[in-house]
Amino acid sequence: MNKDQDLPLRNDIAARFVPKIIILMVYLGTLCSTFTFFMIHSTLLWEEKLTTNLSIEIPFFSDISSNDLQTQVTDLLQKTPGINKVEVVSKTEVQTLFHSLLGEDTNVDTFSLPAIVDVSLNKRDAFDVENLETRLKSISPLIQLIDHRLWQSQVSNLLFTSTSLALLLTFLILCSTLVTTFFATRTSLLIHRKIVEVLSLIGATPSYIAKQFQRNTFKQGLFASSIGAFLAFLTFLGIYFLFKNVGQTFVVTTSFFCEVLAIFILAPFITSFFMMLSARRAVMKALCS
Amino acid sequence: MSEVIGELLGVGHQYDEGPEIFKGVSFRIEKGSFRFITGLSGSGKSSLLKILYLGLKPKWGSVRLFGEDTFQIKPALLPLLRQKIGVVFQEFNLLDHLTVIDNVSLPLRVRGVDIKRSYKHAGELLEWVGLGDCLKAYPPSLSGGQKQRAAIARAIITRPQLLLADEPTGNVDDEMATKLLCLFEELNKSGTAVLITTHNQRILKKFPYPQLALREGTVFQQLPIEKKAS
Repeated sequence: MNKDQDLPLRNDIAARFVPKIIILMVYLGTLCSTFTFFMIHSTLLWEEKLTTNLSIEIPFFSDISSNDLQTQVTDLLQKTPGINKVEVVSKTEVQTLFHSLLGEDTNVDTFSLPAIVDVSLNKRDAFDVENLETRLKSISPLIQLIDHRLWQSQVSNLLFTSTSLALLLTFLILCSTLVTTFFATRTSLLIHRKIVEVLSLIGATPSYIAKQFQRNTFKQGLFASSIGAFLAFLTFLGIYFLFKNVGQTFVVTTSFFCEVLAIFILAPFITSFFMMLSARRAVMKALCS
Repeated sequence: MSEVIGELLGVGHQYDEGPEIFKGVSFRIEKGSFRFITGLSGSGKSSLLKILYLGLKPKWGSVRLFGEDTFQIKPALLPLLRQKIGVVFQEFNLLDHLTVIDNVSLPLRVRGVDIKRSYKHAGELLEWVGLGDCLKAYPPSLSGGQKQRAAIARAIITRPQLLLADEPTGNVDDEMATKLLCLFEELNKSGTAVLITTHNQRILKKFPYPQLALREGTVFQQLPIEKKAS
């Protein structure tokens, strides 16, 4: 006989609906955690690539040599403390930028395209942008300074909020799984009240009885959450190939893929472990009070 | 003087708002003693036993078992007290989803004995009570007498310090009843205190041990029938 057969837990009513709920919860939970990791990875990748904090736009003047203005601006920038890197955007890159805005068919060669200088700062917060803008205006009042940090911080906040929400949702799903387990165990205890009473009268400790529920919940949880995680993995692959087919870049780095794989593998064990603790708590609370 | 392992002092009980079943019941259970509890149907024999195996909390009085006040004991220590007591329930209380050998070996398993050893002990005991060919049978397929014997085997398998049996001979013939009482005597000789409820006069005559008679809601100590007759 098996160690966990003192109570006929496999055939009770609770055993019928709990696995279905767990499958759904784990499916949603793992997808939510995958989304969280995706957001964290995307944010990190984006922040890694985003080195330009300021852009300076030097308009095209027919009477002044653009190169002179450009030289004056780059000289000023290089002498300004707090600036890490100054890079003049090549004409080809500017043209590509305009092509992406106006369409590939537009002949941008005929346009009077401005020169753009990208600036990377050492310390983003400690830099006096207003002072730099005044000094640039003294070279030419038409020079524009664009501070990217404003929208960068907005996007960063948005990403942080999305990540936090996804994390919160994952946590709530886990909590509801545990609450479901807790009440299913209480129901099971009520169903098997008579047997639990006999076990207690012949000297079984609450811990011994709890172990019966724990083992059963762990097995049940592991089975159901493995199905949930597998279905979530299929959904993830589906989304990945869907994005790939429509030509969208779905940022999947090797480390991200490894982490996602770890989520799908670990989720059933983590879920069933916490379910097991929840079942134990339910039994101990009922028998020790 | 023998060591006292159980003591009831002024114990009384009533279910909900019903009449008092008994009141002011006081007696001691000495280590190695053998006693019968007698009384008419509904006199409260089973309730008294239930109080002793900690399945019922009396409304009045105090119960001490193995030196512990059962009213003040921590819930965590209750199973340890129960492990010292073997109980033969009137309704057998065998677990229908377990085989006879699983039922009988259960008290050993809850005490941490491994399955192999517990099966060996249970097998030997079941052989002795005449259920050697029913090891793998399930309780619903057994007769009343077979269930009774399986319940007795489960109660004594741990060699408890106190054995409480509620009408253990109620469903068996005289021959088997005598055999079971002999088994209880054997257990008693090894130091187990035995307390049996019965109204079987033949058994009381055959085994002349002291009786606690429940009458008019209280307990009277009686001498063995044989001695009274002489």
